[in-house]
Amino acid sequence: MTVVVEATGVSKWYGEVLGLNGFSAAFAPGITGLVGPNGAGKSTLFKLLIGQLHKDQGELRLLGEDPWNNVPIKRRLGYCPEHNQLYGWLTADQFVSSLLRLDGMPSSEATRRAREALETVGLTSAKDRRLRTYSRGMRQRAKLAQALAHDPDLLILDEPLSGADPQARVHILRTIADFAKDGGHVLMSTHILYEVERLTSNIVLIHNGKGIASGNVHEIRALIDRHPHAVRIATPAPRAVAEALAPLDHVASIEFLADKELLVRTRKPDAFYRELPAIIEDRRLEVTGLESPDDNLDAVFRYLVG
Amino acid sequence: MMDILAGLAKSWVVFSLTVRYLLTTRRGLATAALAATPILLLGSLALARVETFDIVLFQLLMVPLFLQVVVVFTTLVQATSLIREEIEDNTLPYLLTRPISKPAVLLSKYFGYLASVLLLLVPPLLAAYAITEAHAGDALSTDREVLIAFLVATVLATLAYGAFFTFLSVLVRRPLAVGLGIGFVWEFVVGSFPGDLPRLSIIHYLRSILKELAPFGPLRLYTSDVSASVASIILVAFAAAALVLAIIVFQQSEFKQKA
Repeated sequence: MTVVVEATGVSKWYGEVLGLNGFSAAFAPGITGLVGPNGAGKSTLFKLLIGQLHKDQGELRLLGEDPWNNVPIKRRLGYCPEHNQLYGWLTADQFVSSLLRLDGMPSSEATRRAREALETVGLTSAKDRRLRTYSRGMRQRAKLAQALAHDPDLLILDEPLSGADPQARVHILRTIADFAKDGGHVLMSTHILYEVERLTSNIVLIHNGKGIASGNVHEIRALIDRHPHAVRIATPAPRAVAEALAPLDHVASIEFLADKELLVRTRKPDAFYRELPAIIEDRRLEVTGLESPDDNLDAVFRYLVG
Repeated sequence: MMDILAGLAKSWVVFSLTVRYLLTTRRGLATAALAATPILLLGSLALARVETFDIVLFQLLMVPLFLQVVVVFTTLVQATSLIREEIEDNTLPYLLTRPISKPAVLLSKYFGYLASVLLLLVPPLLAAYAITEAHAGDALSTDREVLIAFLVATVLATLAYGAFFTFLSVLVRRPLAVGLGIGFVWEFVVGSFPGDLPRLSIIHYLRSILKELAPFGPLRLYTSDVSASVASIILVAFAAAALVLAIIVFQQSEFKQKA
């Protein structure tokens, strides 16, 4: 297979708002990051790929087929939506195994594979808890478990790390990397380049509904590093976390926000994301969420598109 | 053959999830409480030893209270949640990214709705009837034709209202508001007009069924030239048409989730 997804001049309108504007790109096998600020059209493209939306113009092929109302192709597809809503009244075990039975698996096999998938994402101990009691990071992992449990050819992950705590991030990134190592293809959207950079150098940049660049990530890294990268950290102990991060030479500033949140600006985001889990673990700090405001990437995109 | 069995197995999953959701969440508990209103009312009449409380009063009370309020509200609340709530909650992609067609999802949900709502509505109806007969000192089988008439009307009302409200739930963004207008305003007003206008309401056909099947009592005074069998066929055909329309709309629908 030379191309997993091919889009040629794809446009999608929401009334008078343009979601995709003649988007063209070819997504190669392996892991590809779809990178763009919020509102760039990433989720619209993914919703077109899973058949949730219908294109208004252009040509879109998913694994060589038109995805709109295409039931058979869904056997080969795993989708992790951006939103964190789940069937809160089900346990994770019931949630994943029910969806697997929709893939045609017998009940016993569905149960076995659901448990394997939950183990893969590190949710075995919480598999019998109702999903409404899950944290954001756990929800992200449960969504990932249902997406990969039926061993699809292609995973479509819409902002899979959004709001995930450091532990969940590690699990999610490892799971995606392992899936690709076993021959699976992954399309992953993010507004944080550094997230996807840890998995692949193959990226497609999207802005205002258009594909503006694709290829190797390193060429635009230099541009992006000129802009300090902001990370919002949710923690019950903001002062202790600030004390731990302040000595890092690449941390440019730390700002205390309302509701037990910190805004940290770093000049070396990759180093920051690499070092953060160890710092948290060594000092036994509690971090409940990490979020990168999309103005980081927006600034870069404004620069790129002139 | 294997494909049919596999399709049925998938439909069973959606059916089971629907039943579980409709019966075990707060919505299910609230509608169960509403469905129990006839038991409370007739139980109170029995406890108060109201002398005029018998099977005739049962019929007089159960049409406006049970068929026109409890059944309409229960079917409205449950059927409009089938698809619309999944769209609003952003959970529909979990079903629609699996190899099951949209028509199969909708029909499986509808049958899940039927099972759940009948489970909510039939026991209170049976209990209300039993209270009435016990209060009158009659055997449970004494007025069984009246009970059968109400059971038939309840099943057909659940079928027809449910299919229509399911159609509304894929057609409009606020099916509950539109359904309230149709279920309570249209059905009450149009159903009460003289002449042929009531033919445009579901309640007209339900009353026609009750009129023919109940051997005595106030229901026989209802003016209708539609026989119970024709009324039943009309209601089943109406439900089938509403479901076909719902499937057509759902199949072509895009799902623009909340941001």
